[in-house]
Amino acid sequence: MSSVFSFQAVTDGVLMNFRAGVSFEQFKSSVKLHAEEAGDFFKGVCLYINLTGVKITFSEMQQLMNIVQKYNKVREIYFTAQQSTQKVDSEGDKALIISRTLRSGQMIKHSKSIVIIGDVNPGAEVIAGEDIIVFGRIKGVVHAGAGGSREAKVAALKLNPTQLRIASFIARSPDDAEKNKLEPEKAYIKDGVITVEKL
Amino acid sequence: MAGKTIVVTSGKGGVGKTTSTANIGTALAMHDKKVCLIDADIGLRNLDVVMGLENRIVYDIVDVVENNCRMEQAMIRDKRYDGLFLLPAAQTRDKTSVTPYQMKELIEKLKEDMDYVIVDSPAGIEQGFKNAISGADRAVIITTPEVSAVRDADRIIGLLEAEGIHKPEVVINRIRVDMVEKGDMMGIEDMIEILAIELLGIVPEDEGIVVSTNRGEPIALNDKSKAGQAYRNIARRIMGEDLPIMKLEKEGFLSRFKKLVGLS
Repeated sequence: MSSVFSFQAVTDGVLMNFRAGVSFEQFKSSVKLHAEEAGDFFKGVCLYINLTGVKITFSEMQQLMNIVQKYNKVREIYFTAQQSTQKVDSEGDKALIISRTLRSGQMIKHSKSIVIIGDVNPGAEVIAGEDIIVFGRIKGVVHAGAGGSREAKVAALKLNPTQLRIASFIARSPDDAEKNKLEPEKAYIKDGVITVEKL
Repeated sequence: MAGKTIVVTSGKGGVGKTTSTANIGTALAMHDKKVCLIDADIGLRNLDVVMGLENRIVYDIVDVVENNCRMEQAMIRDKRYDGLFLLPAAQTRDKTSVTPYQMKELIEKLKEDMDYVIVDSPAGIEQGFKNAISGADRAVIITTPEVSAVRDADRIIGLLEAEGIHKPEVVINRIRVDMVEKGDMMGIEDMIEILAIELLGIVPEDEGIVVSTNRGEPIALNDKSKAGQAYRNIARRIMGEDLPIMKLEKEGFLSRFKKLVGLS
């Protein structure tokens, strides 16, 4: 799926780029799947669909318009044609760095990676479009690849989350988890399941 | 099946609303009743932790109200009883995320296939409380034998009556027999005299509550606990049984001695 298109952050939203030479059917089905998995993730931002290098007929365009409507609560959808190699806005392009402990009831949401220097306490939530890296203990809820990216990873000095989600997968810590010892671990999707291994 | 909605409230914080909700719900489920517990304490949710279901939450009550998910997706089935469900509160939002009208609508829908819907109210008398009591058919007021808790309970009774919820019942929690006997604690009769409402039950102070809360296993599951027995009795009274109120007696020398040598 991710090989068909990629994302870039721009000032007020996200730019979707497509790989050249993809057939419309491939293109259509991957956007459809992505739109369904994304849910409300793009709430309030603009979505720029970059059609550079893609040839589309009138009826295909109509189909595409029906599909992108599934992106819930998006501020606006634009069809554009711009060179994807251009330097896009840097703000949203970067990982978000938080240098404090997240406490119960606090939520951090970011379309790229999130790095936290501190703990994620029970009741706190971290939602990232890409990876989540915590220099501390994860005890709350973390969701990496919230836009549907299965390549996203979660890494922490101690992985003991209430719930760990990657893309549309959900896992929770075993009940008998060792609670205190620091032991750097990462979680990622391997063969369709969330897998945890020591770093 | 049109069930009854019971709100568990107190006014004062820390008297045991959440513990009581969890235990009454569990005890009702033990009698094969279909029960849904609703945590109305948005922003300071606890019921999921007390029930040991925290790590199963994906959607919450605010998601249901905002139509981000269906009601069934947000309802968490209990680990122990198939007929027991929890609709958790949101932790990253606040009480204004839900209006009393939305709450009432949600409860009406939920009641259709439940025997009992039990709403755990937040402390206080502001919007969270108003949300919790909207849609309630019955009210259970939790209080402890302290002047401040009784005062707040009295205020709550007045507010409930103003909202058209008449005849609330009271549960007196954390009673210590030794202190009552010495006259250091308010007696049950004194409290009922002030509140002038029906007594639904009394729950003795029990260290086991702390353990059960921390483990996420309601004490009603524990056969040996007096507090667990008390909650099971309360559930039976809610179902309409006429049970006498538990007799609390100070442990005599003989029974203490028997315990010590392991005879009882």
